[in-house]
Parts: sequence; structure tokens; C-alpha cells
Amino acid sequence: MTTEPTQTSSPKTVFTASLIALGVALVILFVVILPAELDYDPFGIGQLLGISGLSSGEAPPLEGQEAVHSTDYVEFYLEPFQSVEYKYSMDIDAPMIFSWVAEAELYYDMHAEPAGLGEEYAESFEQGTGAQKMGSYHAPFTGIHGWFWENRGNTDVTVKLYSSGFYHSSKVFSANDQYDRDISPVTQ
Amino acid sequence: MSLDRFAVVKCLNLSLWTVFAAGLFFCSQALAHSIASDDANFVLSVDGPAVIPFIYLGAKHMVTGYDHLLFLVGVIFFLYKPRHVVQYVTLFAVGHSITLLAGVLADWQVNAYLIDAVIGFSIVYKAFENIGGFKLLPFQPDTRVAVFVFGLFHGLGLATKLQEFELSDNGLITNIISFNVGVEIGQILALSAILIFLSAWRTSASYLKHAFTTNTALMTGGFLLVGYQLASFFLVPVYL
Repeated sequence: MTTEPTQTSSPKTVFTASLIALGVALVILFVVILPAELDYDPFGIGQLLGISGLSSGEAPPLEGQEAVHSTDYVEFYLEPFQSVEYKYSMDIDAPMIFSWVAEAELYYDMHAEPAGLGEEYAESFEQGTGAQKMGSYHAPFTGIHGWFWENRGNTDVTVKLYSSGFYHSSKVFSANDQYDRDISPVTQ
Repeated sequence: MSLDRFAVVKCLNLSLWTVFAAGLFFCSQALAHSIASDDANFVLSVDGPAVIPFIYLGAKHMVTGYDHLLFLVGVIFFLYKPRHVVQYVTLFAVGHSITLLAGVLADWQVNAYLIDAVIGFSIVYKAFENIGGFKLLPFQPDTRVAVFVFGLFHGLGLATKLQEFELSDNGLITNIISFNVGVEIGQILALSAILIFLSAWRTSASYLKHAFTTNTALMTGGFLLVGYQLASFFLVPVYL
């Protein structure tokens, strides 16, 4: 049985075609794929096209920042059916780590509002009830980022919020008031 | 104009093809390189036999795996008789089933990038054969042996993809076999699509006219995959 799944070509044609295939592949690799996918850009072409590091997936282990970070601690209490929001103003890509601990379960909503766009563009990251929440946060856009808490129980609940991050200022929103508060680092 | 020059001019037309190939590459990047991350979470959560989900994952991996698909295009490009298609595809399927099962069961630790580079090379090899490259060389490798051996490598690639997740020992054999069945179903689906496309194209005179160009483009795609996988092997840091 003979199967001849090929065609016949002259040596020169096959050689040239293979060379062109290899050449075109190398050009595409070095011009777009390696700069965009692996952030490897030995000829600077990816930089020129603006595609360097375009899809190199995961965030790098180290990401530098321009300013010194802040550390904040605040303690407050919520009466039954009272709610409050604590927000930090952060630039895009600024990180923050936080822990908040309450005496009893609260309804919470961790969310952010893009700068200058207002509440209707707010994005919520997690809602639920709980007595504490710890985590790390990476600001997806410039704006104000923080928590809404509501006491749906029938006793006063004290809340402690600890955080460190690259934020500039803090804002408080309560039922009939909103004001800037000073960031007060833990001193102990 | 000599035939050679004509062919070279035609080869240059493949820039269009390679743009298409590159587009395909980017589109399927997230899906094909490894099992998509949502699926990965699913695999991690499975403890016990899960036949249908693993069949689905296997089929999805095959249908969205452009490296396997490009190789299949190369293999069946000049196979006109259904009997030959079945014969070659069976060789390929037997090859990749052996290493998929053995690789996962024996827990072979093979670098996925290097395996994927070999899979890319299999596309280059088949395209080179299709443009008549081996007829010019003193030795004539048996295509069936080559397809079988590359099948072994493709299976090893599938095994490394499955092993990226810590599969539970509970129901492992059922799940691998289900994944393998899914791979074959996906292969039949992909093959049908490729065959429909090629059969339709074969009725026109442009098929043989552009066969050389098409296979050169296929070879370019193969070289792209080899380069990308080798670059990843050297450049992507491994945190263990």
C-alpha cells in the first residue's frame, strides 16, 4: 500500500519556502509575540508598538510605588440600623492590606467609585455579613475605595479597622454627613 | 518567470496567512496553552470520579488546542481516501492515548514548554513533508511512524496539562480515561470541521495551486509555536 501524502517540488523551492517560513516566524516572534506575551523585547520593537508586556499574565512579584505608604487605624461604633462608609482615595494599581474586626455580625459591602464619575459607576467587590474580614486589595482604577457597614442587629457594635496602603486621604460617609478624616497610624 | 520564482512569490502571499495564524494564536492563547483557569478550579475541586466533566474538558482542550489542530491539518492535507484518514488518525490517537494514560498514572514530570515545542516541531515536520521536503533527502521517514511518534508527544503534552493540577487519587483512572475519551471526541469534531473545509476546498482548482503556500504557512505556524514555547522555557520564571 502506498500513500504519498506529499507533492513534488524542486530542492530550491522547498529550501526557499522553509527559509521563508522560518524567517516570517522569527519576525512575528520578535516583533509581536515575545514582547507581548513574555515581555521579552531585545530589539525594542514591542516598546515602539506599545505592546510590551501586554499579556504577560500575572502581576510581577514586585511593584514599586512613588510615595511612602500610610498606616491607619480607626475605631467606631454603629448603633442598631446605623450605617457608615470609610473610604480611601487611591490611584490606579495602588495596593492596600486591611483587617476589620467587629464585635458582632455586620452587613458589609467593599466597593470603589472611580474618581469624578460618582456613585452610579461604583463597583462592588464583596457583599455579605460577617464579624471580620481581612485581605489585600489592588485598586483597579483611581478613585475612592473602601467599605460600607450596616448594623442590622439590635445592639451597638464596635468596629476596628486596620490598614496599610498607598492611599492619600480618608473620607467618612454617614447617613447625614460626610467629611475628610486624618489618617491616624497605630502608635503602640 | 521560472517555476521557482513563481513559488517564492506565492510564499510571500503567506504573510496574509500568518496574520490569520497569529490572530488564531492570540484568540486561543488563554484557552489552549493550558486548561483555562476556571476549569482549573473545577479540576481542583473534584474528588472522585467525574465522567462527563472530564470528557467535556478533554474535548474542549482538543477543539481549542490550535497546536493539535494545525498538526491534524498537516496530517490529512493530502489524504483523500477516508480509509487513509481513519488509519492516520487512529495511529495518532493510539499514540497520544498511550502517553496520556501512562504519563499521568506514572506521574512523569516532563517540562510542558519543551513538550509543546516538540508538538510545534511536529507541525513543521508534517508541513515540510507536505511540500515534498523529504523526497529531496536521502532518507524517507515512514509517515505512519512519524505520526505515531508525534502522537506519543502530543499525549505527553496532554498529560503535562492534566498534571498541572493536583488530581485527586480518588477516581483518578476513571477521570483520565474520561479525559482521554473527551480528547477523542474533540478530535473527531475538529477533524470533521477540518475535513468539511478541506473537502470543499479540494473541489476547486485553487487547492493544489495553493497547497504549497498553505503548507508553508503551516510550517510558519509550527516555527512560531516552537519559538514561543522555547522562549517561554527560558524566560518564564518557575516558582516552586
